[in-house]
Parts: sequence; C-alpha cells; structure tokens
Amino acid sequence: MTRILLSVLSLVFLGDALAQTPPLIRLGRGFAAEEQVWLMSARPDLAPNQGKRYQLKQILFQANPERFQAFLAGELDAGTAPGLAVIFARAQGMDMKIVASVCLEAKGEQYFTTTYMVKDDGPIKSVKDLKGGTIGVVGIKTATDLWARAGLINAGLVPDKDTKVVPMAFPVIGDAVRTGKVSAGTFVEPFYSAESAKGGLRKLFTAVDAVGYDHELLDIFFGEKFLKAHPDAVRAFLSDYVAVTKYYLSNMEQAKRDLHKAGFVRTPIEIYLKNADWKRDPNARVDVESLKKLSTFMHEKLQWLDKPVNVDSMVDQSFLPK
Amino acid sequence: MSRVLPFLFVGVVLAIWEAASRSGLWSPLLFPSLARILDQLMLFFSRAEMLAEARVSLERALGGFALAALAGILLGMVMGRSKALGELLDPLFSGTYAVPKLALFPIFIFVFGIGSLSKVALVFLECLYPIVIMTAHGAREVNRALLWSAQNMGASRATILRRVVIPATAPFIFAGFRVALPVAMIVVVITEMVASADGLGYQVIYALSSLRTDRMLAVVIVIAALGYLLDKALVLARDRLIYWEKLDTYYV
Repeated sequence: MTRILLSVLSLVFLGDALAQTPPLIRLGRGFAAEEQVWLMSARPDLAPNQGKRYQLKQILFQANPERFQAFLAGELDAGTAPGLAVIFARAQGMDMKIVASVCLEAKGEQYFTTTYMVKDDGPIKSVKDLKGGTIGVVGIKTATDLWARAGLINAGLVPDKDTKVVPMAFPVIGDAVRTGKVSAGTFVEPFYSAESAKGGLRKLFTAVDAVGYDHELLDIFFGEKFLKAHPDAVRAFLSDYVAVTKYYLSNMEQAKRDLHKAGFVRTPIEIYLKNADWKRDPNARVDVESLKKLSTFMHEKLQWLDKPVNVDSMVDQSFLPK
Repeated sequence: MSRVLPFLFVGVVLAIWEAASRSGLWSPLLFPSLARILDQLMLFFSRAEMLAEARVSLERALGGFALAALAGILLGMVMGRSKALGELLDPLFSGTYAVPKLALFPIFIFVFGIGSLSKVALVFLECLYPIVIMTAHGAREVNRALLWSAQNMGASRATILRRVVIPATAPFIFAGFRVALPVAMIVVVITEMVASADGLGYQVIYALSSLRTDRMLAVVIVIAALGYLLDKALVLARDRLIYWEKLDTYYV
C-alpha cells in the first residue's frame, strides 16, 4: 500500500516538474560577429531568465545553408543569420521571422566594417582595375558576395563577366591576394587585423562603401511556429539578450576574455582584444529600412530573387523589451 | 526480364521519393517533388550556359584523368616489370593511397592558381593511384608461360612488352580506369564546390546557397548521368580493345 502511494506521489511530482520545465530554444549559431549571443551561454549569470523561463542550447554551424536545412528538418527553433540570408529563406517560403539585430555594417572610425583589400604594390588602384581579375569572397550568395558584386557594379563592371567572384575560406584569402592568386579578397575580423599586421595589403573598399548605407549584417530569427507556441519564452530570451548586449557594449574587454576562456573564440586573446567591433544596437532594434534596400538590390540589380520579398512581414520586433 | 529489372528498381526508388515528398512529413524545400526536379532538369538542358558549365567540368575531369592514365600506365608498368623500381615506388604509393588528397586542395590553389589547373592537378593525383596500382599488379601477374614462349621464339624485349606484357596487363589497366573515372568526376565537382566560379560543382553550391534543393538535385542528376555515360563509354572501349577477354561470370 505504501509503495503504491509513493508511486502515485512520485508520478504527480514528476508531472508537475515536467509541466514547469521551461521551453528549450535550439539556436543555430555561427562563428563570427555574434559575441552577445555566445555570451548568453558563456556567462549564463548575465541572463537571469535562462533556465527559468527558457532553456538555451546553441549549436554551431559553418554556413547558412546548413543552418537553414537544420531548421527545415525541425532540428532548430531559432538562429543567427545574415539579414540577406533570411531574405533568401523568406523568398523560398520558409516560416521564419527576424526578431532582433545582432550587428550592422556601419560607417565610423569606432566600428569595423568588412573590408576588401588588394596587394599593396599591385596594379589595382581602384575597383575599375579589377576588370579581368578575380575577387575572393567567403561563399556564393553570402553577404560578402553581395558587397563584392555591389562594389563591382558601382565601378561599372559586370560581375562574373568582367570580374570573376570565387568562394574561398577566410584563412587563405590573405596569402591568395599577396601571391596574386586573386586580385582582391574579403577580410573580416579577426583575419583583417592579423593580415593587416603582416603588411603587403591595401584597402580597396568596404561593405558600407559598396552598398552606400549602414545596414544589417546579422540578425536573430525564430520559426513562426515557435513564436506562436512559446511567446513568453521568446520575450524572456530577448529580454536577456538585450541585457547581455548592453553588458557586452559597456564591458567589452571582460566579455571578450570570458568568451575566449569559454572557447567561443580561438583567436589569440591579445589580437582579439584589439579588434575593432561591428556596430551593435544596445536595444537590438532591427534597421528594417536597410533590409528593404538590400532586398530591392538583390531583386533588381543582382537578380538573386525571382520576386521582391515583403520585408515588413519578415521582421517582428514585438517580442523585444519595450 | 533481366533488362527490365534495373529500371524497375529505379522506378521503385522514384516512387518512394515521390511518396515521401507528398507525405507532408518534410518540407518541400528539403524534399522537392519529382515534378519540380524534372522542371529544373528541363530548364538545365534548355539553357546554353548550363551546358557550358557541364562542358567545363567534363574538360577538367577528362583532362586530369587523361594525364593520370598516361602517367599511371607508365609508372605501373615500370613498377610491375622492374623489381628494383617496384620496391622503391611501392611503399610510396601504398603508404599515401589513403591520404585524402582533397585536403591538399588549398596548397594546389597556391601552386596552380584558382582556375582550372588546380582542379585538373588534383584530379590527376586522385586518379593516378588506382591506375598505377592496378597496372603494376597486372604487369606483375603476366603468365610466365607466355613470356617464356615469346623468349624461346626469339622475341626482343620490346616485342615481348608490346605483344605480351601490354595485352596481358590491359584488362587490369581498364579496371584501374573504371575506378579512376568516377573519382575524376567526384573530385572535380567537389573542388568546384570549394573554390570556383564555374562548372557543375559551382552550380550545386549556387543552388544550395539559394535554398533551391530542386535545382541542386537536377544538377546532381546531370552529374550522375555524365558519370554513367562515361562509364558506359569506357566499358564499350574495353570490350572493343580487349575482345579476347570477355567477362564470363558463373553465378552459383
């Protein structure tokens, strides 16, 4: 009799415990420029709602297509992704929404913006000189590809026809430019600082120069089903995310040390601490207008989209703290 | 019936695919229907620039394969018929056969550039191994009775090589070719996926980056069809050239 009573009681408590388990957010992350997102796992003490109103599991992906395939397969609830990648995804009918900004490509001495560099003593003095040459980007139809093409179009060149755009891994681009294997290459931190320190390279143009305005680089997206099923968990997650972003911006050195210690960043700490950072909005608000301009550019100039994407319906900032 | 069976198998696989696609269990973006893949396939063949992409990949694959065939037959013959050279080169080939040469691709880019040459060079290296190893094995296995007979009839070394060793090794050389030819296609597609602005591999990665699985699968079908046709052409050439050695399998 006692055994039966104990079993019933334990079942009741187990059910109660299960009912109180906060929803798990499976978030696909990348390996660059997402410091405040990583900090939520490296320093969970900065995210008071974590474990109480939501649980967070970050999963590393090397590229956007794989991240979106995992999302389509139901293995992810959310993720970080470039705004233009989400535009692609929405164009294909994927049910996801951008809910917060991670970082932007912006003008200003204090910010880093993706930079295209050429051989310092080489013949290329302006973008026009890239005619007949090759420009190295990190992947096809990525943001680095878009900026490269935008830069070429601005200079009156036709991408692929006048100048080849080839994908290559970030770590090899520096030497590829120096040895003349490509005429110009894409540099992001930490490779930008490391390669600039080696010398022999010169800035040709930046991502902001290429498109002509500050714009979203990385954003956080959620699946629409998850947003509908667990709105409170998303609100709690974003409340923590904004708090962590503010902490990161005002305690950048300590935050970078914590990320390095937790293994999120492999760059030597002294180089990592010196790197200029991308612009980050402390309230994680999304620059929707810049996404609209990018979408129009992708559709009209690059023919990357069959039809325009409704950016307003793609962004939902109502889950962010007021 | 035996002629119908392979098509029946393909039909069953396609039916399973279509059923899975229509089941609603997976997103059509991941699991596109056969009709959508077929549409993309038609689009592929209707566009001249896509056919040019296929030609680029074929040229790279066949270029690397042809170079590997020339060097591989020469090296394999030398290793098979010369004890000293065989002992010298055997450890080199058997010791490095398992090395994934694709890992060397970044070095190839630095040496040969980002264009076709680095891809052809890697195809050459990957194809060289099976051709050398099979040729060397065949050259070692030449029937002694044939060699003695030729010697007894007064044939010179050059005649023995031309009339006995090469014909006896030919089936092994073609076996090496049949292993190497699909490898050539695989390597060329992968290298184009890693660093290229043209070719079928580039089209695969372009479609993937656009989240167009249907388009990507259409390109994959084209690659598979090219591989199948190349293999069939090779078998045809083998049967014509080595007419005395027809495969005659006895199934128990």
